[in-house]
Amino acid sequence: MTLSVPNIVILIVIGLLGTGIYALLTVRNLIKVVVALQIMVKAAMLALVLAGRLQGQENLGQSLALTVIVADTIVAVVGLALAVQVRRVVGSLDLNALTTLRR
Amino acid sequence: MLHLLTAVGILVCAIQAIRSRRLIVSALWLAGTSALVALELYLLGAPEIGVIELSVGAGLVTVLFVFAINLTGEEATDLRGLIKEPLAVVVSVLTIVLLGLLLVPGIDRAAPSVGEPALKVVLWGNRQLDLILQAVLVFCGVLGVLGLLSERESAPTEHNPLEGVE
Amino acid sequence: MAMTWLSLTIGLPWLGALIIWLVGDRDEKFTHGLAVAFSVAAGLAALLLLPYGKERLVYAIPIGGVFGDFTFVVDGLGVFLTAVATVVGSLAVIFSVDYMHGEHQLARYYAFVLFFIGGMAGLVLTSNMLLMFFFWEITALCSYALISFHNDDPKAVAGGIKALIITQLGGIGLLAGALLLYAYTGSNDFHLLLENPAILPAGALAWVAFGCLIAAAAKSAQFPFQTWLPDAMEAPTPISALIHAATMVNAGVYLLARFYPAFAEVAGWREAVMICGMLSALLAAVMALVATDLKRVLAYSTISQLGFMVYAVGAGGVFASQFHLLSHSIFKALLFLAAGAVIHSVGTRDMRQMGGLGKDMPLTRTVFVMGGLALAGVPVFNGFWSKELILEAGLHENPLWLYVLMVLVAGLTAFYTVRMITMVFYGEAPLNRHIHDAGFAMKVALIPLAVGSLTTWLLAGPFGNLLAESLPTHHLEVHSTLAVVEEVITAPATYLALGVVAVGWLSSWRRQRLSRVGKALGGVGKAAAEGFGFETINRGVVNATQKLAEALRVTQPGLLNWNVFAILCALLILLASLAVGGR
Repeated sequence: MTLSVPNIVILIVIGLLGTGIYALLTVRNLIKVVVALQIMVKAAMLALVLAGRLQGQENLGQSLALTVIVADTIVAVVGLALAVQVRRVVGSLDLNALTTLRR
Repeated sequence: MLHLLTAVGILVCAIQAIRSRRLIVSALWLAGTSALVALELYLLGAPEIGVIELSVGAGLVTVLFVFAINLTGEEATDLRGLIKEPLAVVVSVLTIVLLGLLLVPGIDRAAPSVGEPALKVVLWGNRQLDLILQAVLVFCGVLGVLGLLSERESAPTEHNPLEGVE
Repeated sequence: MAMTWLSLTIGLPWLGALIIWLVGDRDEKFTHGLAVAFSVAAGLAALLLLPYGKERLVYAIPIGGVFGDFTFVVDGLGVFLTAVATVVGSLAVIFSVDYMHGEHQLARYYAFVLFFIGGMAGLVLTSNMLLMFFFWEITALCSYALISFHNDDPKAVAGGIKALIITQLGGIGLLAGALLLYAYTGSNDFHLLLENPAILPAGALAWVAFGCLIAAAAKSAQFPFQTWLPDAMEAPTPISALIHAATMVNAGVYLLARFYPAFAEVAGWREAVMICGMLSALLAAVMALVATDLKRVLAYSTISQLGFMVYAVGAGGVFASQFHLLSHSIFKALLFLAAGAVIHSVGTRDMRQMGGLGKDMPLTRTVFVMGGLALAGVPVFNGFWSKELILEAGLHENPLWLYVLMVLVAGLTAFYTVRMITMVFYGEAPLNRHIHDAGFAMKVALIPLAVGSLTTWLLAGPFGNLLAESLPTHHLEVHSTLAVVEEVITAPATYLALGVVAVGWLSSWRRQRLSRVGKALGGVGKAAAEGFGFETINRGVVNATQKLAEALRVTQPGLLNWNVFAILCALLILLASLAVGGR
């Protein structure tokens, strides 16, 4: 297998996704969860740009990546604000403590 | 070559961001990942997206992380996950392998040449609904954060109130 | 210019909803004022949009390739229903200033009311079926939120959830129709279908047609979904007026009228629509005969009158049905708001505890009687003309037995109307009662409606023209007001119907003498009070949905790690199957 540019990029994408998934499976700290989500979204962004390149529709892919950046930032902002509130109300950043919110 | 170096850098940064025990260090590794992703985007021929990613992803979001970590305080992050470590490793590796098997072969092909309009036309002309929804999303995000932060006064204070935040 | 009014009509209520929601409950008067200002402004915009109705303007908002354009069409049907929704809606908002005085969480109330009005305006103005579904669901959501506005009252919450689940069932029908249309034509614009129904294969067209019938029946509380509307009476009374007269239930009739040209040729569709309308009209009228809750009687009468409209669409009388919709929305809003004034001052909804209120509330009595006369179809009031037009449409090449039953329902309507009026306003007054007549804001809302129920029939000619010119595919035959009057007066059927109405009227007046007949029919009365068993069926559906949801809670432990694990397992299965066989 030659390491061409698309190959390298797809490996980055898969690697980032795997890291994110592993993190989401094992992490219990809310802020760490936001970090994991950020990592996975980076993968999605790269994948979109790559897909645009492979389809000959670079600009479409890039504009979608731009949307992803916006959405991803909002997710980070709201996620972190939630974490701050959870810390304040529940007293911990542990995800398991949040199950008390369940009836 | 540069691609390869960036790739290794991105993955190392990402793994470090997850492995690191301290939140603030984790956030800094994430910033590193973001900056390298921006570089990779630039190398891929998307300089506009790259620069936005650099400023927003590596800049703004990192500031937010540092801010949030300051507000919540460092906390021991070595809580064990609910899922046993080996199971998590197996499942993640399985996902990586399957994705690799599916995606890597056949990716190395020539792009069909489709005449397509410039980025600004695609963005502002062809994806109007997305733009509207993006605006709504940003607006919702702002409202959400305002709502979350404004409940400060009404939040119960018996649970470990934070000093010096108000 | 029309584009401006169009966007203002939909946008103003939504903007108002947003602003009121953001402002919150800081100052009660300010919230009232904002709501009134925005709803009245929306009403004015809708009235200014009316003259453009004839031109049949089309506005398309391009949103990219996949969903087609978001199209809005300014035609007779759309502008008429928008005007009804916003004008009657704004009157309900004005009425609320008095009625909701001193209530908590007014911001939530008004935000949903305005969101509701805007959603209804959008629903009738769009010609994109997907967008229509979107607006359709907005009205369902708002009705749920408003019916259970008093969310500490279990009955109100149950009523809201019932309305939500049953109208959702109907929503599935509309969604299926929209998807089928898209699958076959590659576009969501239903005008293609109206102009040429043959673009869908006959089988698919039948599915779309019956899907829309189910959606309309659920939304308009028609047989067999009629039971959610009486339970929705737990809402504050202005909301009942809004749901019954201005927004929610009109959507179903609108849907049928809008798609009539496309579905008329589907085998059995017209008959199904007529029977659905007839059964709703008949069953609801019988239930109204025995109900003792003032608002429930009005709710049954709404179902019954909507049955008339649905029957008219099935019988081919699209104009008659829309004309009756206009009359109905005026007099029903009047009846509800007047009933609201009564309930507000008496403090109960039970008619057996009222009686003799006419002396204490002269204005309310006068307007209520006017609304009642219109409901009963007494000449000169608007309900008379539109109902006669419907009955006449029923005579044109349609089954005679359906017509006979509908005339019977007209008589029953007169019977229960008189019963209601006498029980509330006449007879012996209980002692020790402090009653005050309607407040100022209530009067502001009531008087225009009372005038309307006397005069809107004069609009028959212009209204017919508006519809006929802008709806070429409906092939409507319309006449001037004078010709309509002449047609109604000279038709022998009118006198037959009037005779039946008079019999109903008289027998209600002398209903003590009929007690023996009443006893003989006691079984029917009991069945009617139980909702003829449909109550049980509908409740079963609602309970089953809730039980299912409750059972599915097990799958939501609220632990992120396990949730991700489950998602990942599904992804792995997908990837594995792709890797093995897909490529």
